[in-house]
Amino acid sequence: MNCQQFHEVLPEILENGGNEEEEGHLRACPDCAVLVQDLDYIGTQAKLMMPMHDPSPRVWEGIEQSLRREGLLQEGRTPRLGNVMVLPHPAQNWTVTGWIMAAAAVLAFAAVLIGYHPKLQTGEFSAQNSAAPSTAVFDGDDQQVLSQVSHQEPAVRQAYETSLREVNAYIVDARQAVKQAPEDTVAQEHLADAYQQKEMLYQMASAHGLQ
Amino acid sequence: MTKLNYAATFGLAVALAVPAMWAAEVHKEARLDIAPGGSVNIFNNGGSVNLHSDAGKQVVVVYTMHSDKVEVDQTTTADKRRAEFRTHVIADQKPSPEEARVDYDVSVPKGVGVTVSGATATIVADNMNSDLTLSTDTGQVTVRNVYRSHITVHSVAAPVTLSNITNGTVDVTTSTGTVEMTSVFGPKVKAGTTSGNITYRGDCAGGGEYSFATHSGAIDVFMPETASVDLSAHTETGALQTDFAFKAKDHNYFTNKQGSSFSGTSNSGLSSLELRSFSGKIRVKKQ
Repeated sequence: MNCQQFHEVLPEILENGGNEEEEGHLRACPDCAVLVQDLDYIGTQAKLMMPMHDPSPRVWEGIEQSLRREGLLQEGRTPRLGNVMVLPHPAQNWTVTGWIMAAAAVLAFAAVLIGYHPKLQTGEFSAQNSAAPSTAVFDGDDQQVLSQVSHQEPAVRQAYETSLREVNAYIVDARQAVKQAPEDTVAQEHLADAYQQKEMLYQMASAHGLQ
Repeated sequence: MTKLNYAATFGLAVALAVPAMWAAEVHKEARLDIAPGGSVNIFNNGGSVNLHSDAGKQVVVVYTMHSDKVEVDQTTTADKRRAEFRTHVIADQKPSPEEARVDYDVSVPKGVGVTVSGATATIVADNMNSDLTLSTDTGQVTVRNVYRSHITVHSVAAPVTLSNITNGTVDVTTSTGTVEMTSVFGPKVKAGTTSGNITYRGDCAGGGEYSFATHSGAIDVFMPETASVDLSAHTETGALQTDFAFKAKDHNYFTNKQGSSFSGTSNSGLSSLELRSFSGKIRVKKQ
């Protein structure tokens, strides 16, 4: 499953949860994972803002039409799981404030989806089409390495930071390649090289720490 | 008379200034007996370390400190198999990078190994027949005219330049630094980087194993037409170019694919040349 396919079934996932394939894509794709988190957050916040009254039927019809215009709902389309996606029928009384909050939540939802552009195509590698190193967050061990060189000159500290980012990107790419083709000897060698590079950085930083 | 006064004053000022400048620097020399096959370790964060061979049987170390905020500790084991020189900052002192600099000039007998560790130190090894283990973060490493020795270089971002290395084993690892090799031959020559470029000029002589690998750095190999190599070149998402007339191999552990992977032999294929880049360019060109 690629990001485009995931995007198409996102409304069902938010409504009913995802299947194994969809969950797997969420685990493998940090961009889609962040998108789902953002949408969940918007949904949660919108509920908090909404008063406990349902809007009029006209409001829900308007929302449904907006979603169809954005291509998020298709006419006569059957959702993946075979479940029929039914918009909740509203109760009769809803305040003007609630009407505005609901519309704002929908617009925010649509804006996030429209603005979301998956960065990677199939065969996604962090170094592909990118001159700059990946901005992966440093884990605890990396932070410890950086603290060991914290007393060095700024150029040295910067060199370690840049190198750690680049070697982490190397590990991500190599892991992905091995995952896609476990029998690929070249991919396995790249993964071994990547870890050796990282080990070298750790050893050199440790030597500074000891001194 | 006035002109003479000016000249005398100027001359006196110069005469006083020169010793004052030299007074900030401290030069010291150490001569140590070392057992055959012994080793010398130099720990020097900043400054320079110049290494070369000496016909004598002693290790001669001349070092220059640029301030009185640092000192050099010197130790030798009782069996004289290991000598160590360590630059460190004197307690409670906070020297600037310039004040913390110490420049070393080290002469070692043939066969005595040398290990140098630094952060911004510039390391030069010239005309030696000794095992070398050199590491620096952002300085520079230059090794030339070394024969029959094991050379190991580690760098974070420092560029590494090797030339005229014969009959030795070479292992260079750098993260973002570049590796330039000219006339480097031996039973095993290995270079690996993350994003640094690797350039090799030579004919991979001697029937050795040559292996260059990067993540995103470029690999450029310039060889004469007479080079006798068994080439395996592979890139996952980069590009592969060769203007050599290799004879393609029918069987290898990967499949030949135009523009990204190739295996073949040139002349009799005596030396093994393996080039791997994940996303960088690989070019094999005639010298």
